[in-house]
Amino acid sequence: MNGNRPAIAEGESVPAATPGLGWDQVKRELLEFFASIKLAMFLFIVLAITATIGTVIQQNERAEVYIKEYGEQVYQWFVLLGFTDVYHTWWFTSLLALLCINSLTCFYKRFPAIWRSMQQDKVSVTLPFVKNLKYTTEVAVPGQKDRVAEGLVRMFAEKGYQVLAKNGPQEATVYATKGILGRVGAHVAHLSATVIVLGGLVGSLWGFQQFGVCLEGETYHIPEGQFDLRVDKFWIDYHDNGAVKSYNSTLTVLEGEDAKLTKTITVNDPLVYKDIWFYQSSYGNAWDRVEVVRLNIKDKKTDEVLHTVDLDWQQEKALNELGLKLAVTDFVADFGFNSQDKKVYSKSVDHENPAIKLAIWERDGVAATPWIFYHYPGLFDIKDSQYRFELVGYRPKQFTGLQISKDPGVNIVWVGSTLIVVGITLSSFIYHRRLWVKIVPDANGAQSVVHIGGNTHKSQIDFQKEFRRITERLKTLTT
Amino acid sequence: MIRSLFLFDMTFWLYLAALSLYIGYVFARRPAASFELAPAGHPTSMGFNDGAWATQIGQVATIVTIFGLIMNTVALGTRAYERLEHLGTFAPWSNQFEAMAFVSWAIIFGYLLFEARYKIKSVGAFVVGIGFIAMGAASLLPYRYQTAEPLVPALNSYWIYIHVSVTLLSYAAFAMAGGLGIMYLVKERAERLGKPSRLYNALPDLETIDELGYKAIMVGFPLLAFGIILGAMWANYAWGGYWSWDPKETWSLIVWLIYGAYIHARMTRGWEGRRAAIYAIFGLLMVVFCFWGVNFLLSGLHAYA
Ligand code: HEM
Repeated sequence: MNGNRPAIAEGESVPAATPGLGWDQVKRELLEFFASIKLAMFLFIVLAITATIGTVIQQNERAEVYIKEYGEQVYQWFVLLGFTDVYHTWWFTSLLALLCINSLTCFYKRFPAIWRSMQQDKVSVTLPFVKNLKYTTEVAVPGQKDRVAEGLVRMFAEKGYQVLAKNGPQEATVYATKGILGRVGAHVAHLSATVIVLGGLVGSLWGFQQFGVCLEGETYHIPEGQFDLRVDKFWIDYHDNGAVKSYNSTLTVLEGEDAKLTKTITVNDPLVYKDIWFYQSSYGNAWDRVEVVRLNIKDKKTDEVLHTVDLDWQQEKALNELGLKLAVTDFVADFGFNSQDKKVYSKSVDHENPAIKLAIWERDGVAATPWIFYHYPGLFDIKDSQYRFELVGYRPKQFTGLQISKDPGVNIVWVGSTLIVVGITLSSFIYHRRLWVKIVPDANGAQSVVHIGGNTHKSQIDFQKEFRRITERLKTLTT
Repeated sequence: MIRSLFLFDMTFWLYLAALSLYIGYVFARRPAASFELAPAGHPTSMGFNDGAWATQIGQVATIVTIFGLIMNTVALGTRAYERLEHLGTFAPWSNQFEAMAFVSWAIIFGYLLFEARYKIKSVGAFVVGIGFIAMGAASLLPYRYQTAEPLVPALNSYWIYIHVSVTLLSYAAFAMAGGLGIMYLVKERAERLGKPSRLYNALPDLETIDELGYKAIMVGFPLLAFGIILGAMWANYAWGGYWSWDPKETWSLIVWLIYGAYIHARMTRGWEGRRAAIYAIFGLLMVVFCFWGVNFLLSGLHAYA
């Protein structure tokens, strides 16, 4: 690739290497290994292959989910290999780290040569060198050697080349180069890959991500920022056809009693305070609270509906004509009972088996707090009561799902990202090319023979065209 | 809605016509050494040595392609207007159908730029073909995928204008590279068959095809990098983190890594020519999976289709 190796040998003087394990030897081999393009290809491919795993197997699920889908045995393997959280396994992280080491070593090994080539003397080349370049030709041009050389230098400069010229008694030499920035760009890309990974590392070490299920009207303490967050309001906007258009929460940041900042956030528009970001991430039905429930009150004997009543959450309501006082004191979306500590809980966040706990005070001193099930009316009978209560409907309380995160590495990632895009773009659209010209005067001095040769590390077609154009121009140089 | 769908339909037919013409062009170019093969009545004596027919068909092919591109542009513009009128956002790449129509626009646009610059028309038989397939696949989608539905809240952001379009442009570049890869294999086969067939003569030499394929990938690679990073910036605004390993973003990274391996492989010996062509076709298949497969087969935050 590096067509012409720089005249200066790389590294220190190479001692006649005894085939032992001298430190120099080890160092050279290591450098060779870590700077090799083969390793880079290997890492690109292995990363690509292993990254597919996490897109096929659900990540970070509960054990039951995997066991149900793949079976116990396979799940054991998944755990062993880290397939349930591929991107955070030691081996995936190591591959990323290796890629960084690889590209840094590549930079270390190759960039100095590029740097030097920008300053080096390139006009001490011989005629056979020019004739052996990948693209080479010779043209007879009318005019003296000096004038031809002058014309050439002017032409190259017009085309945006950097030019070096040397005029000797026998011959003139011109060296012209352009597009070194393309190669510098590649190395900018190599450095910035590591910058991005470092940014990610900083974020994972000193940042955090949490998910908050928050209810309207409540205030939550954010220990990481030592402030409080109040959810003033949550609502959903709809399109005409009923599809959800946006969902929004009005949040207020409180420090002690002071309201510092109020903002309505929506998807794509977070609130930021003290480097902590609050995103509108989702919404849903709370699993431990309702806004209002609707009950049918039936006569136990006749099974006739005597009354239908709507009860607000934890608000007592008196029904004097029936001699009743009722209140909804609790709710679970998916009824579960822990027999050890005798507690009712919601088995999941889904409204699979909703139930309310109803506090009942009846005229003649009967008091009870039964659980009443939406799907199983009449499961419990309340002794001594003349009524039966059926839960016929409820409006769940909606929660607003807030993603709360802080990432001190994010700006590093943006710097690295910008650099990598700039670097790759430069290297894609600018190609490095070099031309050498030897101008030898004819026997009588009125004509000169111009030997021109050049190479490029890519974009052969474009270079071929350019080379042809330049040789065409040569013929008319002095006229 | 009907109006833009009609225009997309027209685009489809124009691309089909253009593709047929380019194929006709390839076969109409006569081998230089066999003048006697000229169609009856063809005035060989008038000094046409490269098939006057071919030149004319080639010109018509280019014109039809330009019309197709204009139609495609108008169709996208009309769809953008329909979106703006009814839904308040206009990006005409807000669902799978529109995205594919946009990719096909980009492939054809890229091809015309290429033709203007390099004047190698036979490439059209392959690259316009891929643009046509993209458009055709879009029109095969069920009707409910083709209409403009309102954006779900997560997509309703100005990021969609730039992130999605840049990513789709990179897909178009990779599609061109894949088309050139196929062309390489065809040419190579024609070469192996020995005698200078029409097909053989019509196609540029292997080295040129190889180089052009590489160039297409070198356009796609930075575009995809930019697209992925724009996606990360968007995610940072919408999802609460710039990278969450969701299947779509992971797959676009995979595609990027695959092409990363390609550009580095080219610096080592033996990775030009045939191998590079096959690799470019493989890369295109991965792009297709990232573009289609992920939306329809894998679930995740991007699954809006
Ligand atoms: C980590 C992500 C990497 C990115 C984004 C990247 C990107 C690039 C790009 C865009 C080029 C220019 C290609 C061309 O001009 O055709 C390039 C060149 C190169 N890359 Fe990488 N690369 C990466 C990693 C590596 C690694 C790990 C190595 C290890 C050997 C490596 C070795 C090289 C070499 C030797 C060149 C040629 C440089 C020159 O022209 O002097 N790259 N790279």
